[in-house]
Amino acid sequence: MAIQSAPLRDQIRAEGRPGAELDVAISPRRRRPPRPRFNALTAFWLLIVAILILPIALFLAVAFSPALLSQGPDWLTLSAFSTALTGHLLLGFVNSLVIGIVTALASAIIGFALAWIVIRTDAPARGIWTGVVFALFLTPSYLIALGWERLLEPNGVLQTLGWDPTAARDVFYGPVGIVVVLTVKGIPFAYLAISNALRGLGHEYEDAVRVHGGGAIASMRVVVALLAPAIWAALAIVFAESVSDFGVASTLANDSHFTVATFELYTAVQAFPVQFPVASAISWVLLIFVVLALLAQSRALKGRSYRVLGGRSRRAIRRRLSAVEKVAVVIGMSLLVVIALGVPTFGAVSASLIDGLGSLAGTHAWTLANYARVITSPDLSAPLWYSMQAATIAASVTTVLAVVCARLLAAGRTNLSSRMLDMVLLAAVALPGIVFAAGYIFAYNLPLTNAMGIHLYGTTTLLVLAYIATALPSTSRLLVGSMSQIQDSMLHSSRVHGSGAIFAWLSIVLPVISRPLLNAWLLTFTATLLELPVSQLLAPPGQQPISVGITATLAKYDFGGGTAMEVLAILTALLVVLVATLIFRLATPRGWRTLGTAK
Amino acid sequence: MNVTTRWAAVSLAAVALVGLTGCAGAASASSSAPASAAVEPLVLYAAEGYDAVAPKAFTAKTGIPVKVVDDSTGPLLTKIQAEKNNPQWSMLWVDGDTAFASLDQQGLLAPYAAHGSFNTVGKALIPSDHSYTPTGTTVMSALIYNAAKVTAVPATYQDLLGSAYTGKVGMNDPAQSGPTYPFIAGLMNQFGGQTGGVAAGEAYLTKLKANGLKVFPTNGDTLHALETGQIDYGLIQSSAATGEVIKVKATAAFQPKIVYLPKSTLLPSVIAIDKGASAVQQAEAKKFIDYVVSSEGQAVMLTGDPTGDSLFWPVVDNASSLKDLPPFPTEYQTLNPVFWGPLQSQVVTWFESNIK
Repeated sequence: MAIQSAPLRDQIRAEGRPGAELDVAISPRRRRPPRPRFNALTAFWLLIVAILILPIALFLAVAFSPALLSQGPDWLTLSAFSTALTGHLLLGFVNSLVIGIVTALASAIIGFALAWIVIRTDAPARGIWTGVVFALFLTPSYLIALGWERLLEPNGVLQTLGWDPTAARDVFYGPVGIVVVLTVKGIPFAYLAISNALRGLGHEYEDAVRVHGGGAIASMRVVVALLAPAIWAALAIVFAESVSDFGVASTLANDSHFTVATFELYTAVQAFPVQFPVASAISWVLLIFVVLALLAQSRALKGRSYRVLGGRSRRAIRRRLSAVEKVAVVIGMSLLVVIALGVPTFGAVSASLIDGLGSLAGTHAWTLANYARVITSPDLSAPLWYSMQAATIAASVTTVLAVVCARLLAAGRTNLSSRMLDMVLLAAVALPGIVFAAGYIFAYNLPLTNAMGIHLYGTTTLLVLAYIATALPSTSRLLVGSMSQIQDSMLHSSRVHGSGAIFAWLSIVLPVISRPLLNAWLLTFTATLLELPVSQLLAPPGQQPISVGITATLAKYDFGGGTAMEVLAILTALLVVLVATLIFRLATPRGWRTLGTAK
Repeated sequence: MNVTTRWAAVSLAAVALVGLTGCAGAASASSSAPASAAVEPLVLYAAEGYDAVAPKAFTAKTGIPVKVVDDSTGPLLTKIQAEKNNPQWSMLWVDGDTAFASLDQQGLLAPYAAHGSFNTVGKALIPSDHSYTPTGTTVMSALIYNAAKVTAVPATYQDLLGSAYTGKVGMNDPAQSGPTYPFIAGLMNQFGGQTGGVAAGEAYLTKLKANGLKVFPTNGDTLHALETGQIDYGLIQSSAATGEVIKVKATAAFQPKIVYLPKSTLLPSVIAIDKGASAVQQAEAKKFIDYVVSSEGQAVMLTGDPTGDSLFWPVVDNASSLKDLPPFPTEYQTLNPVFWGPLQSQVVTWFESNIK
């Protein structure tokens, strides 16, 4: 017998039985003694070290040894930690931890419900909800927070319209509002992680439950259990994204004087005098949070296999909702759209389209003056084009690298390489962008690297590499759910029938993951287009990414012009999403697109 | 794993492609630079509204190319601090001299006595070692108030502690707003000098908070709070306050006016040269500084941001200011940046814990 089903083989391996030798017939190369040579995997790890580990490690080293990078006189000290773990800053950690946990749970629950409704029911306007998720990816968290502030602030929009928002303001300006905004930003991550996995889950498992007399709840329990890797991935990634978010920290949290760790980190880095050792100490604590999240994840998934997508997977069947259920779904989804998109859109549009809305000044008349001004402004067109080029390259490379990372992660949690990669990627998600940016300067502006002939700092190349490093962790983790579902038996069947390795991959794996790949590309593109901290510190002299241009405009108290630029940048990104989706529909075989859809 | 390794190879090839593209871009950029070996592009880190027009005019006049990194003061100082091992900037041009004093103490600045005919204010701002040069000045703070809503106008900072101003005054957060630490340091300097100033200033701010002081992140946010009626009096930078008066048409509900309380603390825009820059760049940078303190350079600076940073008072003779700018405040003070600069971290931390 040459071919074993993947779950059985995994079980045999896990139990250490001699049956593992059965693999020999499938992969004879594994019997060869390891050759000490430089292979592609080593090169891949070197790349990960160069773009992720080295910059992060150097930044983290500053907490213990400021003198190493000329950031203080001490070669070995713990004084930065004593500063970071006292009073104000300590409170920030506690607040961030609690907010991260609550946000992760809320996002995972809503993301799961959203994925289920879109993929497994006949709820109306399902296509729109998927669009909403992408629009959420596009919307920076600070814009959502500012939209709410515009609505609720004293003499803000609601008060101008005759409603007194004092009670709502008291609730929203604080942890509740912060959790709401971060949850809204977490939902797309949770949705994509879970929906990609849900598409790969055939209907046979639910059929089995129903055949054995289980009801809808029992069937759902099995689905949730089978999707555990994706759900845990969602929890971990939303937690890490939340504790590292700066958009809400700098707006809503700051305005309501609610201390969170990331804001303290930014204050340490961007207020004069710059205190990199303190920022580094704060990063260490954020990393510890992530280690705790990873431990919880690995404990929950230990020793189980979740490979459910095979050649015999059966198409799922959409559940027919009753009229009442449909109404409830539409109301629930509309509420989500209003909270997540309606309010920030209103905030941005009101600021850019209406003269002085919410303020005592201005005519409150509709005007396109801001748009007319910025569309012809050189501050918009050149930076937007520059950022689009950088984002295109970053998204393409990140997607390829993310497939490799996800494949390694899905290879098995007992594998050391896989576990290390898992740790590095999630740690990277938990560190705010400015940590990468400063780490990149430390790593690639050393006199030593310059002496070696490496002159990357101050070039677009380094900026793009930093974009890739920033996007790779979350993109990889989003693909893990899909990659961990693919049973090797499909590939092996193809090989047995004479396909080469690459053709087998292109004909078997690529169709299965084509939609997640498209999602990953779009996610990276849109996130990179408006990325701020890395752009600020690493953009080459004479080049201005669009996010820096917008910030510069806002810093000149031109709120109308700045938000108009923001709206135009987001519209451009949405256009790219639309075109890419259209190309996917036109260029791919029908089977690629129907995979994972329900009847 | 075999498939994975192949894909790893593909991904590496893709990254290499990015690298090559970048290198090609860099190569084409450098090939388009002037052929003369004696000219090197200047790298100007700047946070001024006129930092696009002034370098452009300078290049047109001298042929020396200037690459501008335009951003807020915070990120620029972060870059400089992170680059400390291997500085990449030629000049820094931002508001406030305390940061420059600190950079000078770290030995990062190359001194230069600019060829400008500095007036009394300008001379008072030039440090004895000429490590940096003022190119214009604003003051901190201007008190901007909504005359459509309130009639009481304070004459001194002490007046703001009265009941007429309870819950109506706002200012910026010194941790986020560059000009605000000099303002606080100015209050301290005014109330107690260098010996008892910190305690006197803290006592004043504590009383102001007890009277309902509200803290907003930056000039723009404090102005927004004034526009939306959250406050009626805002303590902000003079250029931002004057810009608001110019931009906003007065209505029955909103009529911004400005008063300068004694003493106004000078907040100059300052330029300095990186000591680590090449000799060629340092020589070019000196030409740039001479240009911006010339009457020609000053006139160009007025065109860059007429409702913001261009609203500065000149620190050289033979230069004019924009017509909307009110007369220079008669009662002003200069801070000793060498004394007050190192206290910034301590004062800001106190403010964050006790006032914000």
